[in-house]
Amino acid sequence: ATTPILNQSNERNATILDGRGRLAALSVGIPQFMLSSTLPVRFALEFFGAEGLYPGDVLVANDPYHGGGHLPDYNVFAPVFAGDELALIASIQCHHADTGGGMPGGYNAEAIDIWAEGVRFPAVKVYERGEERRDVLYMMKVNNRTPSFMGDLRAQIGAAQIGVRRLGEIVERYGADAVRGAVDHSIAYAARRFREEVASWPDGRYEADAWVDHDPIGNPDIQVHVAVSVDGDRLTVDFSGSDERQDLKAYSSFGNTRGYVVAQLATMMDPAIPKNEGFFDSIDLVVPKGCVLNPHEGRTVAAGTHHPGVEVGEAIAKALAQVLPERSCPQIYKLGMPTVIYGQQPDSGEVFVDHSVDVLAAYCNAVKDQDGWGSMPASFGNLIRATAEINESIFPVRHECCDYRTDSGGPGQWRGCPGSRVVKRVLVPASVTTYMVGMKYPMSGVAGGADGAPNHLTVRAGTEHAEPVPCMANAIPHGAGEAFEYLYGGGGGWGDPLERDPRAVCEDALDEYVSVEAAERDYGVVLRGSVEGCDLAVDAEATRALRERLRAARAGQGGA
Amino acid sequence: MAPSYRIGVDVGGTFTDFVLVRGDGSLALRKTPTTLPDQSLGVMRGIEVLAEAEGCSARELLAATELVVHGTTTADNTMIEMTGAVTGLLTTEGHRDEIELRRGFKEDIWDPAAPPPVPIAPRRRRLGVPERLDFRGEVVRPLDEDAVRAAARRLARQDVESVAVCLLFSYVNPAHEQRVREILAEELPRARVSLSHEVMPTAPEFERTSTTLVDAYVGPRVETYLRRLEQALRDAGYARDLLIMQSNGGIMTADFLAKKAVAVLGSGPTGGVMGACAVGERAGVRDFVAVDMGGTSYEACLVRDARPRIESFWNWRHRYLVGLPMVQMHSIGAGGGSIASVEAGALRVGPESAGADPGPICYGRGGTRPTVTDANVVLGYLNPEALCGGEFKLDTDGLGEALEREIGAPLGLDAVGAAHGIFRIVNANMANAIRRVSSHAGVDPRDLSMVVYGGNGPVHAGQQAEELGIRRLLVPKTSPAFSALGLLIADYVVEAQRSYIAPAGRADAAHVNGRLDEMEAQALDELRLAGLGASDVDFERSLTLCYPGQTFDMPVPAVLTDGRLAEGDLERSIDAFHDLHQELHSYAMRDEEPVVRGVRVQAVGRTPKPFRKGAAGSDRGAASGAAPVSRRPAWFGEQFLDTPVYDGDRLGPGQRLEGPAIVEEQFTTIVLAPGHRAELDAAGNYVVELG
Repeated sequence: ATTPILNQSNERNATILDGRGRLAALSVGIPQFMLSSTLPVRFALEFFGAEGLYPGDVLVANDPYHGGGHLPDYNVFAPVFAGDELALIASIQCHHADTGGGMPGGYNAEAIDIWAEGVRFPAVKVYERGEERRDVLYMMKVNNRTPSFMGDLRAQIGAAQIGVRRLGEIVERYGADAVRGAVDHSIAYAARRFREEVASWPDGRYEADAWVDHDPIGNPDIQVHVAVSVDGDRLTVDFSGSDERQDLKAYSSFGNTRGYVVAQLATMMDPAIPKNEGFFDSIDLVVPKGCVLNPHEGRTVAAGTHHPGVEVGEAIAKALAQVLPERSCPQIYKLGMPTVIYGQQPDSGEVFVDHSVDVLAAYCNAVKDQDGWGSMPASFGNLIRATAEINESIFPVRHECCDYRTDSGGPGQWRGCPGSRVVKRVLVPASVTTYMVGMKYPMSGVAGGADGAPNHLTVRAGTEHAEPVPCMANAIPHGAGEAFEYLYGGGGGWGDPLERDPRAVCEDALDEYVSVEAAERDYGVVLRGSVEGCDLAVDAEATRALRERLRAARAGQGGA
Repeated sequence: MAPSYRIGVDVGGTFTDFVLVRGDGSLALRKTPTTLPDQSLGVMRGIEVLAEAEGCSARELLAATELVVHGTTTADNTMIEMTGAVTGLLTTEGHRDEIELRRGFKEDIWDPAAPPPVPIAPRRRRLGVPERLDFRGEVVRPLDEDAVRAAARRLARQDVESVAVCLLFSYVNPAHEQRVREILAEELPRARVSLSHEVMPTAPEFERTSTTLVDAYVGPRVETYLRRLEQALRDAGYARDLLIMQSNGGIMTADFLAKKAVAVLGSGPTGGVMGACAVGERAGVRDFVAVDMGGTSYEACLVRDARPRIESFWNWRHRYLVGLPMVQMHSIGAGGGSIASVEAGALRVGPESAGADPGPICYGRGGTRPTVTDANVVLGYLNPEALCGGEFKLDTDGLGEALEREIGAPLGLDAVGAAHGIFRIVNANMANAIRRVSSHAGVDPRDLSMVVYGGNGPVHAGQQAEELGIRRLLVPKTSPAFSALGLLIADYVVEAQRSYIAPAGRADAAHVNGRLDEMEAQALDELRLAGLGASDVDFERSLTLCYPGQTFDMPVPAVLTDGRLAEGDLERSIDAFHDLHQELHSYAMRDEEPVVRGVRVQAVGRTPKPFRKGAAGSDRGAASGAAPVSRRPAWFGEQFLDTPVYDGDRLGPGQRLEGPAIVEEQFTTIVLAPGHRAELDAAGNYVVELG
């Protein structure tokens, strides 16, 4: 793989499916993507039929209306045979830097429809009976802008072929029956463990809303409504009542919605339960056709993978927080879409696309007994982020800052993780495209914790043309030497900040996660000494008095 | 006395193991309890024990010793306990938090409540300084020396003892890092300083920062320990260098490693793996899992074609990334001292260990919680009177009652049922550890053999093998101190690397050759200090290459003429890269011009191997066709069987044994279940065949 988003960022998922297209096992890059790997395979099985697939075939699929998430996510898969019987399918998904269509970079957020977003491949064979289909691969090559596309696709095809070889050895050695038995056992085990977890939750119907600030053209307040019903060991997740506007620019495909449901629920259970078809089997999922989470064919979905995709998880977490606050932590992000920098390499004139999958912190909520930490929510997955030294060797872009910003983590008894201040300066003329959310609706706090700080993006920062981006930055030109400054949102807090241990607040202030002023304002903790002098200490008496005043004021507000 | 002893010393969690190799190639093994926190006390005590057995004083023994090689857990213990130096970190401004951002990595992506690692340098001791180089190493922003001084003073106010410095692109141009060291020497004169371009001169910055930070954190403790041990040995009469096993499977002088402390992580277990490779190769066993079960921990390492996997990318150790070449192994808390308990109605064994003190209940030192060793005594596998050839008396009064009370009662089992449960659980844990290393590499354990060592390895390995379908085990007679023996087998290794980025077709051969000259001269200097001459040293030279845009480069052995790039060599090296890429990733892009990313040299200083006379076995008498020395009931299947017990010292090459049988070696016990057959080979290995 030759594109940084693939080869550094691990934005890939390998899965094994059985002959019926059921998810058997996986190696996770990003949970919701791996969880959307099954439906495209099932479409191919249906389309070609069992007799239409041969040993040595390799298929490519990326179409959101045939089971996929959005067009840049290419699913490459290949059948494994036991004699004449289709035993297993090796599948690998990767996000590609470009997918044709009206805009470079795969995120044509203003596209009028799916065809303007890029080229659709419902399920095409790139290898048949071990022979490369040169015409098909060539057609894919000329429909893509980035020179590295074929390298990435070949890496993916190679990975699928290795998968077939290895799985073929297993099938040969143990026999198709044993393999089938192992898959069935694993799926049944996951389903049983899932149901045991659900059975331990209080019965009832729990509703919540999550909101997207706006779609990429500014249609405001997109609503995701969920009703989660627990009835014994059965779980129903019903999105009836979600936004039904038909003129939006961002929809979450059904496959994507389905993946997020499982990705969120899995973080609320024993992490050791194997992630496979047993999860899907155990959820009654209701997503009305035509709503923002299951659009009619043709609607745009490039940005919808993220929003309203992730709000699926947020809504479920908020609904269940009413009865399971200690387990319900929104495992999502408010990224809009990655900030894409597009320009020409100074020496070769080749197009470069920097997706800004760099090291930065954002959206990491606290949970009970644990402050938010690191850079991303746990379930953002094994997305390994790019570094300054590698990216600057590839792109004419300088990474000037990714430090945490003080006071951006949501206050709480346990504090949300701060977000980063990211400054990237382009060294050649380049354009910057992104879609901003999480300003009106930042990361939610849980159980009395405050929300995380919102996102804020300034393009051409530090120049007279500096301006904030209210919704969509569409190919904003930056001159050589100009920079953008992205203040990423923090994670939400958990529990009442006035209950936080004052010593923890003092430690936070020494580490500049929290300022001395915010310690007083948000936590009611009065500190003496200075950060510079490394001698901060809690003034216990003043803290007690301040917290009493703040509680009283709060009670007064409540009564008013 | 012939001046030709060699001594291997391996410090484990419970015991410190010694191997003495005499001038004629014969061996002696000894064990002493590990001493904490200062492991050197136990080491010096053990040398006295060795001397006593040789009938001389420690001073006489050491004066006649040509080599002491040591595997230490000091660095690992520091990371496990997080008791390293008060450490600060200086970075390029704007990159202060990358160490905490971890490139987004979290160990468990499904558990939002999983805790962060304990910070080596909390944010208050991580400070950015204004300065900047570009990717070519050119200065974009000069170093702000006043800011460095201010940062140093802020660290001084926090009593910082050790400072890691990681500035962007320092591996291309180290000038700013070097200047920071000078300033730190003025402002923080007593602090140890680790510069990233010296610890790990490669991109990217997260990996380099993490590795440098670990070096800074464990450095003072490792350095103090090595210096103290070196001094103690010198005071006791040892005149040569103290040599230490590194994580890359090679040894180097204590002096060298005092300055590169991070390289001794995993030191001890790595010795065992290197020994297993040598023993396996001599026995014709090239594909196996090496398993080491001591008192506290269990290590499993997959060996293919007689070599362990050594990786320098994405090595996570103790929750920090260490980007240096490391032998890959998997460790779990399972050993003779592992404590059994019943939690929520389920039997658990480990990871907590009773260690050597108080140790298992049967040690009679006040231990009250049942351990794996206690279970093994009740099941008849271990001699109920004494261990260590009678030197270590056991106290089994009340042992059965304790097992029944602590484990049996909550589960509705008697003492034997409880003991059998403990035995099965700990074996299952260990079998899972093997599955993890084999299945991650896509290898079926049934295709592998096992090389078994550590004091408790041979008691348990047969059952793990049955569970995994492994058919053949190799148990060296030296098993109980095998890691210590492995230390004596290892070669000297010095690794060096330089960053050099150029399109491969246009790479400058003179530049590459210049870097090779430089690195080889530097490595030779280091090895000369260790007493080696140029003729003892072999160089393995490689280029790291990738396709344009790739970030994970791949080392490829360089095609060279007399060790240097000549006309046409570069093209052949590029072909080798395409071939290797095809082999490893199942595709190559032969119409693309690869990019050279770096040049590496591995200097290997050969050491003589302690396998003379063909006997790696014990030095005591040996005879073929020995009869059992006793019999005792031992639990197999669902019953006690009357089981013959052999004295390992009386068994000679060609001796065959049929399970059920027990062999008592001086420091270990080999348990053969019904259906297991063993033969002692000429090299001193029990070759056990199953089924």
